[in-house]
Amino acid sequence: MVSLLHEHHIRGRAARTADLADLLADSPGVLVVTHEALRPDVTSVIAAFLQDQPNWSEIPIVVLLDRAASQSRIEAALNAAWPRSRRIFYQRPVAALELVSGIQSALLSRFRQREVRDYLERELELRLELNHRVKNILASVMSIFEMTRRGAATTEGLAEDFRGRLTALSNIHSVVFRAGGDEVSLADIVDSTLAPYRSDESSRISVYGPQVLVSREAATTLALCLHELATNAIKYGALSEPEGQILLEWKISSDPDPDITITWTERCGPPVVEPSRRGYGTRYIRSALAGLFGQPPDFAFANEGLRCTIHGPLSRVSLKH
Amino acid sequence: MSQSQPLRIFYLEDNPLIVFHVQSMIEDLGHIFVGSLGSFAELKASIDKLEIDGALIDIDLSDGPTGPAAAELLLKRGIASIFVTGQEQTAAQYASRSLGIISKPILLQQLAAKLELFMQHKN
Repeated sequence: MVSLLHEHHIRGRAARTADLADLLADSPGVLVVTHEALRPDVTSVIAAFLQDQPNWSEIPIVVLLDRAASQSRIEAALNAAWPRSRRIFYQRPVAALELVSGIQSALLSRFRQREVRDYLERELELRLELNHRVKNILASVMSIFEMTRRGAATTEGLAEDFRGRLTALSNIHSVVFRAGGDEVSLADIVDSTLAPYRSDESSRISVYGPQVLVSREAATTLALCLHELATNAIKYGALSEPEGQILLEWKISSDPDPDITITWTERCGPPVVEPSRRGYGTRYIRSALAGLFGQPPDFAFANEGLRCTIHGPLSRVSLKH
Repeated sequence: MSQSQPLRIFYLEDNPLIVFHVQSMIEDLGHIFVGSLGSFAELKASIDKLEIDGALIDIDLSDGPTGPAAAELLLKRGIASIFVTGQEQTAAQYASRSLGIISKPILLQQLAAKLELFMQHKN
C-alpha cells in the first residue's frame, strides 16, 4: 500500500495501533483504514482524534471493506463512532488506479480545508490588528479633544477647532489608505492637509519639494502639524489678510544618511508679534516634531512673517528597511 | 497628590498625540513629566541619563513591538514600568516585567490609579 502510494508521489505511513494517536496528531491528509483494522481499540483512537479536530478540519477516511462484509451495518456503526469525518468506502479487491485516484481526490479536499484554516488564522490576525488600530485611533481622538478643550476659550471655538483637527486626521487617513502600502508621498500629505485652504485661492500657498516617501505614522504627525500651522496662519498670520502668502518647501541633503528640511514661510501678512503664551497647537507642533525628528522645530518671528523650520534625519520619517 | 511627593514619569510611546495628552494628565495629577521617546533604540541610547520613578511603555514602538524589551531593560536597572497599550493580551504575557497595564484609550482616573503603583513601588 505504502509503495503503491509512493509510486504516485503520495507519502504514506503504515500505522500500528500503538503509534496511531501520535501519527494522527501530525494531522495526516487522508486516513486509510482496512477492514481488519476496524477493531474497537482502533476506532476509539480515531474517534478521539475526530472529536478534537479543529473546526476547519474534516479528515477524509478511506475504508477498505471485504466483499462479504455487510456494508450498511459497518457504515451505520462508523457513522455513530466517527462524527465529522468524510468517509469513502471501497470493496476489496479494489483496482489500484481506482484507489489511488480516490485518495488523490480526498487529499485535494484536505488541501482545501487547510486553505480555510490559513484564511481563518489570517482573519484572526486582522481582527486583532484592527482592534489595536481602532483603540489607537480612539486614543488619538481623545487626545485631540483634550488638547482642544484645554485651548478653547468658547464652546464655538472648541467645536470649530475640534472639527478642523478631526477633519485633518480623517483626510490623512484617506491619503494613507489610498497609498495602499506603508509609505505615503509628502506631496500627497501636503495636498490633502492644505486643500481646505487652497480651494478658492490656490496661489496663496506655494508648495515645492522633491518626491519623498514617509511612513504612515510620520505622515499623520506631519499632517496634523501642517494643519496647526495653517489654522494659525488663518487666525493670526499671513492667511488672515488678503495679500498674505505662504511658501512651503522641503529639501533633502545629499549626504549618505540624508537630512530633510521643511520650511513654512509666511509673508505679506499682519505685523508679526511673538505670542506671549504658547497655544496648545504650537505646543503640540513642538512636542510632536521633537519626537519625530529628535529635535524641535525652529520658530522665527521675523518682521515679514512667521517662519517655521523643521529639520532632522530623513531616516526618522522614512520606513526602516 | 498634594500630600505626597510628585513622581518623575517617563513615557515610551511613538504617537505624539497620545504623548501630549498623557503629559497633560500627568501634570494635572501633580507629577513631573520627564520626557518621552518613540523607540527602544532611543531608550537604550539615553537610559543612563534617565532619573525617573517609573516609565509608561507602549507595546508597539517605532522600531517594532519592542515595549516588553524596554520594560525588561528598565527592570534590570530597578526602574518600574506600566504598559499603556491597546494590546492588553500581549502586555499580559509580559506581566512579570511591569506593575500593571493601562488600556487605550487612556482615562484620567485609570492613569491616576495606576500611578499610585509607582508611588507604592518607590516607598
